[in-house]
Order: sequence, then C-alpha cells, then structure tokens
Amino acid sequence: MSQLYGGKILWIDLSSGAVITKDTSGYARNYIGGRGINARIMYENVGPQTDALGPQNIIAFGTGPLSGTLFPGCSRTDVMCKSPVTNLIANANVGGDWAAELKYAGFDHVVLTGRAEHPVYLSVRNDIVELKDARHLWGGTTWDTQRTIKAELSDPEVKVLCIGPAGENMSTFATVHSNVGNSASRTGVGAVLGSKNVKALAVRGTGGVAVADPDAFFEACVAAHDTIKGADYYEELATLGVVQAEYAYVLSGIEAGSDAHDGVRDLDPQGTTDYPAFWKEYGHKRTGCMGCPVHCMENYDVPGHGSAVMSCELYTQLTWEVRNFDMHLLYDLVKQCMLMGIDNTSTATMIQFVMQLYDLGIIDESLTDGIRMEWGSKEAIHGALNAMVLRNTEFGDVLAQGMKATAEYFDSRVPSERRGGTSTYEHAMQVNNNPMYGINPRMNAMALGYAIGRRSDCITDLDTNQFDTITAPIYPGWTEEHRLAEVEYNYQTARDLTGLQNAGDPESLEGKAQIVHDMGIHTGLSDMAGTCKWHTKWLFLDLRPEHYAKALTAGLGREVSEDDLLRASLRMRHVERALECKMGRRRENDTIPAKEFGKPVSRGLWKGKLGVTREQLEGMKDEYYTLRGWDLETGVPTAATLHEFGLDDIASDLAERGILPGWTGEDFGR
Amino acid sequence: MYSVINVDIEKCTGCRTCELACSLHNYGECNPSRSRIFVVRDQDEGLITTVPVVCQQCEKPLCLNMCPAQAISRDPETHAVVIDEDKCLGCRTCVYVCPFGAPSVDPRLGVAQKCDLCGGSPSCVAICPKKALSYVGAEEESLRRKRTRVERYLSVIGTRG
Repeated sequence: MSQLYGGKILWIDLSSGAVITKDTSGYARNYIGGRGINARIMYENVGPQTDALGPQNIIAFGTGPLSGTLFPGCSRTDVMCKSPVTNLIANANVGGDWAAELKYAGFDHVVLTGRAEHPVYLSVRNDIVELKDARHLWGGTTWDTQRTIKAELSDPEVKVLCIGPAGENMSTFATVHSNVGNSASRTGVGAVLGSKNVKALAVRGTGGVAVADPDAFFEACVAAHDTIKGADYYEELATLGVVQAEYAYVLSGIEAGSDAHDGVRDLDPQGTTDYPAFWKEYGHKRTGCMGCPVHCMENYDVPGHGSAVMSCELYTQLTWEVRNFDMHLLYDLVKQCMLMGIDNTSTATMIQFVMQLYDLGIIDESLTDGIRMEWGSKEAIHGALNAMVLRNTEFGDVLAQGMKATAEYFDSRVPSERRGGTSTYEHAMQVNNNPMYGINPRMNAMALGYAIGRRSDCITDLDTNQFDTITAPIYPGWTEEHRLAEVEYNYQTARDLTGLQNAGDPESLEGKAQIVHDMGIHTGLSDMAGTCKWHTKWLFLDLRPEHYAKALTAGLGREVSEDDLLRASLRMRHVERALECKMGRRRENDTIPAKEFGKPVSRGLWKGKLGVTREQLEGMKDEYYTLRGWDLETGVPTAATLHEFGLDDIASDLAERGILPGWTGEDFGR
Repeated sequence: MYSVINVDIEKCTGCRTCELACSLHNYGECNPSRSRIFVVRDQDEGLITTVPVVCQQCEKPLCLNMCPAQAISRDPETHAVVIDEDKCLGCRTCVYVCPFGAPSVDPRLGVAQKCDLCGGSPSCVAICPKKALSYVGAEEESLRRKRTRVERYLSVIGTRG
C-alpha cells in the first residue's frame, strides 16, 4: 500500500474475462487521481469512432488520493466514458461510500472494457476479484440489487454501485446508483454500464489508507473541516438543508423553473410546492455521504409513499419543469427515478420538451403512444417516465434515445407547417443534446458555464460559477440587511479574484469569464482529489487549494504545492478539451439554445433584466478561450498550450488529425 | 465527575467521520475496519438509520469481569475501561459479552481493541459535525435526556399541562 493511494488500477476486459492491474503511480504525479486520471485514460482509449454503447467504449470509476481519508467529503467516485447522450465525454460523479471502500480494497480505479456475454456483477473483496453471474439480478431495482448482493455475499458492509432497469435497457439517461439516492446521474453512464452487461460493482475492503505523517495529516484534515464549518453558508446548509436553499433559489428566479422554458410565470399558484413545509411534515433525518460535514441530503418517510431521499435539484426538476405542483407526485417520481436508475434532471427536461410540443399543438397523442402530454398531468409524467425506462413502446424507445432522436422522430412525422417551418429540436432545452438543468441560462455567467462546460450542463459541472446565482437568494427568514451583507461579501470575493469592480454583479459581463475559468480549476481540484466539489468555494464552503496541498503534502510525505495542483487541474481540463475536440467539438458547439438569447428573466430578483445575447456570450467565450489558451477560432487547445502542460503527445495526435491550431509542422519529439 | 461518549442517534447523519478520525488517531491510517467506533447503517426500503456503536464505559463492565486474562481494567483518571495489550489473549470474550458489541479484535495486532476515550479527549467527538457525539458527564447526560424527552412528549400531546 502506497501513501494515500491504493496503488493499483483494476483493468477488466469483460469480453474475455481477463483481469489485470496497472500501477497508479504512472498517472498520479501529473493527474493526481479521480477525474484527472480518468481523463488521461479516456484520451488514450476512446475517440470519434468509438460507439458509446458498443464494447469498444470503456468506462472508468476513479477515486482520488483523499478518498476514504479524514479529509472532508472523501466520498467521491468519478465516472467517465464516452457519452451516448452527447457523443463527447460522459462524466458523472457519485458520493456515498463506494470510493472509500475501493481504496480500502487496495485499488484507485476500476476500468471496464468490452462486453460480458451475459449479465454479470463485479465483486472485489480486497485482492479477490471476480465476475459473478447477475442474470438473476437483471430487471431488479437499484435498491433490491444492492440488498440481494449484500445478502448473497453475506456481508452487509459491501458497498455497491449498480444500474436499474433503465441502465439495462440502455436508456441514454440511465444512472449508476448507490445507497439511497447517491447517483452518478448525467450523460448516460448507466446506459454504458448496461451496454456492457454489468449490473453492479460490489466492493469490500478492510485495508486502510496510509499516510506519511499521521499527525500533520490529522491536523490538515481538521483544519479543512473547521474551515467548512466556519464558512458563511455552512449554517444554512447544515441546519436548514438544501431544501431551504433550493426554495430560496426558486423564489429568487435563479432556478429557472418555468422561466427558461416559456412556461408558467406564477411562482406557485396554489402554494403547494413549499419544499420546507414538506420537509417539516415528513422529514426523517438529514443524511449525506461519507466524511461530509454538510450532509446535504434529506431522508423522508411519507405515509403511503414510503421512504426516499431528496436533495438539491430534485426539488425543482419534476415540479417546475413539467408544471407539477403536487409535492407527493414529485416525491413518487423522484423515488421512481432512483429505483429505476434514471436521471431525474434529464427525465424532467425530456418530458417538458414533449409537453411543450404537445401544448403548442405541434404533436398529438398519436405520437406519444396515446398519452395526453398535458402540463402537470400525473398520468403523462408517469407514463413518459416508465416508457423511457422500459422502452416498451415506440414513444418510450424514442425518448430513451435522447432529445435529438426524439426531435427527428417528430420532424419526420409532423408536417413542416405545423412546426412553423423549423425543427422541433429548436424547442429542446439542450446543449450538445444534453438536457439542461433548471438553473437559468439567461444569466450571464450561467450561459457561459452551460456553453463551455465539458458535459454541457452547469451545476455539478465544473466550468461554472455560482457567484451571480447565489449573490442574492432570498432565504426564508433572512432580513434584507442580512441578504445585502451576503451580497456584498460575494461581490468582494469576485472583486478579489478578478480585480474588477463589478465582477460580482449579475448584470455585468465584467470578469465573468475569469470567474468561470477560475471556478473550473478549483472544482477540478476536488474532482482529482476524490472529494466533493461542494466544499470548494463553488458553494462558498471555502476549501482552498492550500487545504488540498497541505493534506496531500502530509499524506504523501513530499511537498505538493498549490501551484502543482492548480496546474494539474488545468492540465486535466486541456486533456478533456483535446479529447472533446478529437471527437468533433468546436467553438460553435459551445452555446445555449438559440431561443434563449436575449430573453429577460421573467420573475424573481432580476425580473425583466439579464437575458444574455448571442454577441455577449461570444464575447465571454473569447475571454474564456484566451484565459485557457484555446484557439479563438476553433476552441481547440493550441499547440503552445499543450506543450506548456507537457502534453506534446496529445498535440501530436491532434496535429495528425489536422485539427491542431497553430501547428507549424514540428514533430513534438515523438 | 467522569464523562462518557454519548450518542444521539437522531442527530447522526451516518457520515462516519468518527471512524476515520478514530483510526487515524489510533493507528495512523484511515481505516474504518480498525476504528473503535463504528456506525451501523440500515437503509432498507429507503429509510436510513445510522447508529454509532462505541463503548459506553459500563459501570459494571462485563468485558472487565469476564476477561480470562484479567487484561481489562478501569483507568483511574478517565474512568475508561482499558485493555492491557500485553496481557490480552485475543480470545474475543469481551467481544461476545459486550451489550453493544463494541470491542473488536484487531487482525493485525491480534489483541482486543476498544475505545479508551483518547485519554480524556476523544477525537471522534471533537470532529463530529452534527454533534451527535458528545463527551459529557454521565449524570448530566441523563438529566439532559429527561428534559428532551419531556419536551417531545409535550409537543406530541399538544399541551404544556
């Protein structure tokens, strides 16, 4: 066992059943771990020709050096593969306790290639690695699967990542699930696991994570915990919970809800989506991931509806997006998504898309398997959700293939005049075919975050910022004085970062690119370390590079500087971007839906304001590419940038493909 | 008056930070398998229950009374029930007789391990983010519990008498 690392990457070819291990050390110094190492592995193994749902795709599950340690938020597993949704990189991140357990078994990453002949699950018990028959588990919900595996391995402490029926059916929005509500949700990672005939990854480890200097490491971790607990937003988050924060965002117009989708403008016509009231009535306990002081998840026990976990975006997706104002229905839907293993956000945005077209009279129930896709209809939402999971109707099968496929299906069956002469795809809230979150893209920095984010959404993605979205939420119970004090604090933070007076102002374009650039580097750091990005300044919980540097230095027994880490984070991002560009992404793909440009926010704090234009977005992109060292014309990392980060091999590869900007013919010493 | 580690299971979020702090403090590694406090988690059907299990330093410790090697004694300063590793046989008697199953035999050391209150300043309590663990006087805690139970009772019956 090496310090902080398990030391090995478990590499399994499902087609042949061959299990090999590789040393982590070859990757660790440049890419730290987690998302960093995953990115490098991806670049080396997938490309434009890779079929996302074919055996040649690979899927990597990566922990980081701080996973499973006392460092706060030590729970994260980064999941990466080629995405069946975007045909670019799929990346999602899951908490719980699986990452720690994998480390305790002595592994840092698990990489799966090929396709098993029949359903299997991976069992890792310290150094015993087996592929076990999972035919009897096929069809089971995510919760039943975990329970059955623990029972048959006779060990309740086994930690399980698994797919539900959605993943088995390769519904492109399928998730990889763990525990109750821990989920790697976006960009179709569950579908890729399903395509490989892998039902679950069950891990049990009884080793530990070694550290070079236990006293110094202990001290560094305690300092990080104390920093989080002392942060401005900690009390609100830890006491009131995300339920309260989410409600505040909706009240403030930050959560677009219907805003971005030309839907209802009344906040809550009957006052029935009062999330805090629902929590007060049915809340069972606050819970969260391993090693986390924030415990952002709310566990409910609702009579007649059973138990489930809600958090964050879950509150706003299958309510606002589809104009459902029934909290009990929302709760049932959230639970159904967890059990079936399908992404709540994508599901909501997909259903909203269909409801919008139905409402506009562009489609009717002859194209929706007879389901009347009326706003807020319980039958419609349940019907579409189940169809998308099971793919047992033509409508469900089309939905399961994503927004573009659905639009093409409608376009081919609806006369052009009924569509207003345009494709139904124009109505889709998507970026690179990935259904968007509820966060309002009409806000300047959010638009940039959506546009350049490597998985084309904004919130758990990395290249985004929250400055102008949490500059001024109306928290229930806050006085105006308190709110304004928070606003000033956030403005000052933005000023300190950019040196620009108005950088924190949501209405200004000033400094937005710098903020998004910086935020991406910082959240990337936590993704590489195997910890939770919520704890970074992304959400004002204030973990800074120095916290990671101190813990890594003490744990590894060698000096790791803040600069080393920030540079590694940028290097990782260049690798990802180069891979995306290799797969076909260019500047013109970095955008938001055209219909959103220039439309002001319709309610909340910025009612009638904002509404980023195409020109404004392009201007911010120029600034952002310049900061990153990416070519202004194409958005591809330049030869100079790649060289600066020691990525000559990638530069050489891009040059061979004829897409390297600024390449003058040198051979990069290959 | 001596103190013990009190567990408030309603506050516990199941984050297991206590396990990590305990193992790091006592063994210099992050390893829940070696932690002297262990969070039992149950989540069947989505209802999450998490209960930290840790030695309650019993007034009449069965482990102390039953130990065939007489390896267990009371620390006069902290009142903790402690194990003399040199005498311990690793026979697991203490594991079997403990009402909570709190002790365990460490596979690497081959001897029983249990909470010794970190000599009077338990690291798990210090780091518990939800203050589900507290290190307070045993009597004080009994009184506090009476008060919180009465408050709840009154809120349930809807009257203050």
